[in-house]
Amino acid sequence: MTVFAASSLILFVFSFVLSILISIFGKAKLNRIWALFNLSVAIWALFIFFASNTHNEGAAILYWKLAHIGGLFISIFFYHTICVFCDINRKKTILFAYSQGIFFLSLCFTDLFISSVSIAFNSFYYNNATVTYSIALTFWATFSILGLFELFRNYRTATGTNRNKIRYLFLGFLIGFLGGGTYFMPMYGLKVYPIGNFTIPVYSVIVTYAILRYRILDIRIAVTRTGLFLAVYTLVLGLPFALAARTKYLLIAAYGPNWWIIPLAAMAALATIGPFFYVHLQRKTEEALLKEQRRYQNTLKHAAIGMTRIRNLQKLLSLITHIVTKTVRIDYAAIYLYTAQTNEFTLQVFREGNRERRRVPPVKLSADSPLIRWLHLNKDPMIYDEIKRVLQDAPNPVGRKIEEQMRHILASVIIPSFLDQKLSGFIVLGDKMSGQIYTSDDLNVFQVLASQAALAIENAQFYEDAKEMQAQIAQAEKMATIGTMADGLSHQINNRFYALSLIAGDTIDTIKLTDTQKCSPEIQEMIKNINAALEKIQMNVTQGGEVVKGILKYTRKGDHKLDPIDLDQIIDATLEMVKYKVKLTELDIIREYPQETPKILGNLVQMQEVFFNFIDNAYDAIVERRNTLKEEGYRGRITISARRLEERLEITVRDNGMGVKKEDSRKLFTPFFTTKISARKGTGLGLYVIRNIITEHHGGRIAFDSTYKTGTSFILELPIAKAIT
Amino acid sequence: MAKLLIVDDEEDVREFAANFFRKRKLDVSTMPSGETAIETVKTDCPDLVLLDIRMAGINGIEALEQIRKFNTSVKVIMVTGTKPEDNDALAKCQSLGVLEYIHKPLRLDELEHVVMSALK
Repeated sequence: MTVFAASSLILFVFSFVLSILISIFGKAKLNRIWALFNLSVAIWALFIFFASNTHNEGAAILYWKLAHIGGLFISIFFYHTICVFCDINRKKTILFAYSQGIFFLSLCFTDLFISSVSIAFNSFYYNNATVTYSIALTFWATFSILGLFELFRNYRTATGTNRNKIRYLFLGFLIGFLGGGTYFMPMYGLKVYPIGNFTIPVYSVIVTYAILRYRILDIRIAVTRTGLFLAVYTLVLGLPFALAARTKYLLIAAYGPNWWIIPLAAMAALATIGPFFYVHLQRKTEEALLKEQRRYQNTLKHAAIGMTRIRNLQKLLSLITHIVTKTVRIDYAAIYLYTAQTNEFTLQVFREGNRERRRVPPVKLSADSPLIRWLHLNKDPMIYDEIKRVLQDAPNPVGRKIEEQMRHILASVIIPSFLDQKLSGFIVLGDKMSGQIYTSDDLNVFQVLASQAALAIENAQFYEDAKEMQAQIAQAEKMATIGTMADGLSHQINNRFYALSLIAGDTIDTIKLTDTQKCSPEIQEMIKNINAALEKIQMNVTQGGEVVKGILKYTRKGDHKLDPIDLDQIIDATLEMVKYKVKLTELDIIREYPQETPKILGNLVQMQEVFFNFIDNAYDAIVERRNTLKEEGYRGRITISARRLEERLEITVRDNGMGVKKEDSRKLFTPFFTTKISARKGTGLGLYVIRNIITEHHGGRIAFDSTYKTGTSFILELPIAKAIT
Repeated sequence: MAKLLIVDDEEDVREFAANFFRKRKLDVSTMPSGETAIETVKTDCPDLVLLDIRMAGINGIEALEQIRKFNTSVKVIMVTGTKPEDNDALAKCQSLGVLEYIHKPLRLDELEHVVMSALK
């Protein structure tokens, strides 16, 4: 059997298996057409194998005709594959391509197409080209070149993975068709050996890899690795053979019948060194090739480590986007973080690598959106090109939504970041300005960066929370100090007011008692004005006295005596105090208890404090809901209701504010715990003190019920005063 | 002419209050402290004492306790600038036979009303 026949057989088996594998691995249009391409190659290879193996001229002619059943369609399927790959619409051209293919196929078994064969290379029959054949070949070549042209056009606008894939297709084409072209040489009497059998498998493998794999190697790396591999192993295996062939006689002369040990030993030695040599070379070349990539990957790793030291959240986020856009040279980067209150991911920072610009990115993404769910579920970086390719293979509505959302937030890549299995945020990256792809290495580094960032962000958030809490404790201390000072302060202030009141009052009195009839009208007018001014001073003094009284009521320790008090009394006294802090006009306070509600046994001052906190908290929650949810026609409401439970009165204070989230509700009564939603901003002591008052001092019970975004109810149970009146 | 003693450590208070009640045809004397007030009650026998509670030196309640040791009849109105409930001040005042208990600040006409009705 000739080399040509053997390689044809191998090509047949290879192409046939490949076409089956491709059809198994994907039902997408691209896969189907690429499988057909391989099938046509297989047909071609099978029959040129028969043709080159026969010694019968007639049979050879028949086999060559049969071979062209596949051969005619190779360039058509190639062209079609490229159109599908590049997603370009060339219906008419494709139709024409198939029509001419079928036309020539119909001529294939006439003598117009192939009429004779001649012996080529002294070993096998090769068909001679006819005029019709030449025309068919012209068409064949045209579609190959057209495909190449489309590919080139698409390359110019492609980015990322697609760009890389097109490079693979180019390379494959170059290898495949340069070899394939030699098939035709002998038909025109040119003495060029047809090497297509060797190059076409390489071509098929390269293109199959590029089409089927999502994350493909940078082509420079792939080529270098393959090249190095071939070079090193040709050397390792080839040298001993060369040695054996050239120096066989010398070796026999020197070593006798065991001469072969020498080349064998050389082979063993080289085979041992070979892999090391290969790995070393590979590392060196890749270092050179990926110098840029390694540089920024290192920068990113360093940045990731340094990040945890930054405590200012905003600064940290800006830094991350800055590093990413500057060192990796990406045209866009943004960070979204989870906001629990609204269950959304909100844009924190974004940065553009180049000046000319696009749209403003969306500010928030619902945590229930398909994209977020996907991130949550898969935990891996997402690549826009891959999503798009998956969609091409298997269109589905969810995938389409994800694709749309990614496009919407300008993402070529999304790197999720997790804390305790929970998606805490994600980094959005645009394209690399170099047009290169994101490699697996890149994604790994980004993932490290993202997880470090998650930690750093949590750190910064915690630090900011702690700072706020510290401020609140300081505030609480200040309040406490003011409380202890209030006694002396109020004395001083009241003394001043008292003096003022006496001064003004006495002067008014003097004026009243003085006969001003004899004075000139001007003087009389002046005295009238002075009198009015003094009256105003008195009025202000009285009001000032009220303010001091209010402060005193709030700060006084009071005794712990329990008296029968009714709910109205408590609420009135509380509203009196609370009006200095809460804008009561912004909400409705509804008393939903009957007139004959029994009195409770309680301490008015302490109950005032309790209700002060309730109303104050409710007000904060109402303001928060108003500002966060921005509902149309929303108005704050606090409803106080009561019902008798045997010897106890159950009082419910219900608001329609923001409510408390489940995870926060456990901590609600902890000292210094405060959320912006519930506990009074300032101390975080409110509910803790309240619980003490109710349970310790009144022997009552306190519970609460809260639904996030709906409102909170506090439920008190207090002893009813025995009727002694 | 009814005798009124005003005890307060604020000079302005003493001056203007005295001035006011003098116009009401009262014989007004003033004292800046508890100690001096006790002496004045002893020597001067006023009909009514307007006594500030919190003062430098001994406070109003302590002064009143001293006064009650030798004079149980003099009428007393206590004036306070702070929380009356503290230290059981209110109860103590009641036990010491205080006629009225007033909170600073108050309007002069109210004070007039309280003082004049006490002296009737």
